Amino acid sequence: MSIQNLNTFDPFADAARGTDEGVQDALVHIRIQQRNGRKTLTTVQGLSSDYDLKKIVRTCKKEFACNGTVVEHPEYGEVLQLQGDQRENICQFLTKVGLVKVEQIKVHGF
Amino acid sequence: MAEEEFIFDPSLKKKKKKKTGFNLDAAMSEGSTASPAPESAPTPENGEMQEVKEGTPEMDDMEMFGKKKSKKTKKKPFNLDELTDALPDSNAKEAGAGEEGSEKEQAPATMSAEVESFDLEMDFSKAKKKRTKKRPGLKELITKEEIVGDGDDKEIECGDEWIGSERDYTYDELLERAFNQLREKNPEMATGEKKKFIMKPPQVVRIGSKKTAFANFSEICRLLHRMPKHVLQFLLAELGTSGSTDGSNQLIIKGRFQQKQIENVLRRYIKEYVTCHTCRSPDTILQKDARLYFLQCEQCNSRCSVAPIKSGFQAVANKQQRQAIRASKN
Repeated sequence: MSIQNLNTFDPFADAARGTDEGVQDALVHIRIQQRNGRKTLTTVQGLSSDYDLKKIVRTCKKEFACNGTVVEHPEYGEVLQLQGDQRENICQFLTKVGLVKVEQIKVHGF
Repeated sequence: MAEEEFIFDPSLKKKKKKKTGFNLDAAMSEGSTASPAPESAPTPENGEMQEVKEGTPEMDDMEMFGKKKSKKTKKKPFNLDELTDALPDSNAKEAGAGEEGSEKEQAPATMSAEVESFDLEMDFSKAKKKRTKKRPGLKELITKEEIVGDGDDKEIECGDEWIGSERDYTYDELLERAFNQLREKNPEMATGEKKKFIMKPPQVVRIGSKKTAFANFSEICRLLHRMPKHVLQFLLAELGTSGSTDGSNQLIIKGRFQQKQIENVLRRYIKEYVTCHTCRSPDTILQKDARLYFLQCEQCNSRCSVAPIKSGFQAVANKQQRQAIRASKN
């Protein structure tokens, strides 16, 4: 079906990516958890520890009009928690501000 | 794969609709995008790219039309939004980075196209009354393609102008010739006929107010040729809940879930753990080797590792549990 030779391949794609920024390298997992009733909780795991998560959560709270905290986890490091289903919001926010690239975001849940 | 679809389908379906004369320009621009070296003026090319980009989802929608109405209506605005989101972004990038930007921009576009077409492939065959709509839609497509085919013949004539004449051929002409021949020799490729991977829709029933039953869970596992344990693990990790199978092999999940939500998660499961990452055929085997899961394709014999299932961070949502944890810490 596909003709591999005709695909454009940029041999320097990786190099270009490397010089861009080295702060956020791991995947950012955005998950949703159901609480009682219609309530939900959004967690953001994997943000680089070089970022000040408290500041991020502060702006997120203002932007999405929800509450949120930073939780320290022994295995996963600092994790953002936001009230409600903020998956779309947080995705857009993180990419808009330039903290995380689109391909680094992984959204879980239904 | 997606790249190739780019070159074929938009010119086949969308642009043909408008006018045939346009196609040559499109082919020219395609030629310039397909070849890595020559950088054409960014702005007109960009315009073309936008068209191409818009072409693919629309085409997808067209194909989607008959199968699932609700899906389509939901999908379309989202796609367009995404597009409009993506477009200014890429424009800005282009302004900043020149031609490199355009290449980068191409990559996400192809990605999205790939994802889209992938979604298409696994439609959960739900259509009952929609079947009736499907037929005419397909016929339309076919007739359109026939028209397109006629146009191609003309193109071949005009594409081979240089054969009789003295002048040398240009790159674009050669490229066009190559593609025309490809299309001629493989008609099924040009029409974009793919073997569709058809799944049964999951039957999801609410049990009481807090639990959900996934009635045909074992059947779906059998259809996918995957161990129920593995599917269960993935489902529960993705949904962030707990659950188990009961006596009649249906899956009971804690929490309220709707059918389409489960369907979404299943779709993701199929994408990651069922279809081959290289050729996308569903004829694969999942093996465990040295603690890692490997996906072995029966069609193309490719073998690649798949991501492990991790549930990741789970917040403690229950107040009593949280207090218990706090008490244990002190």
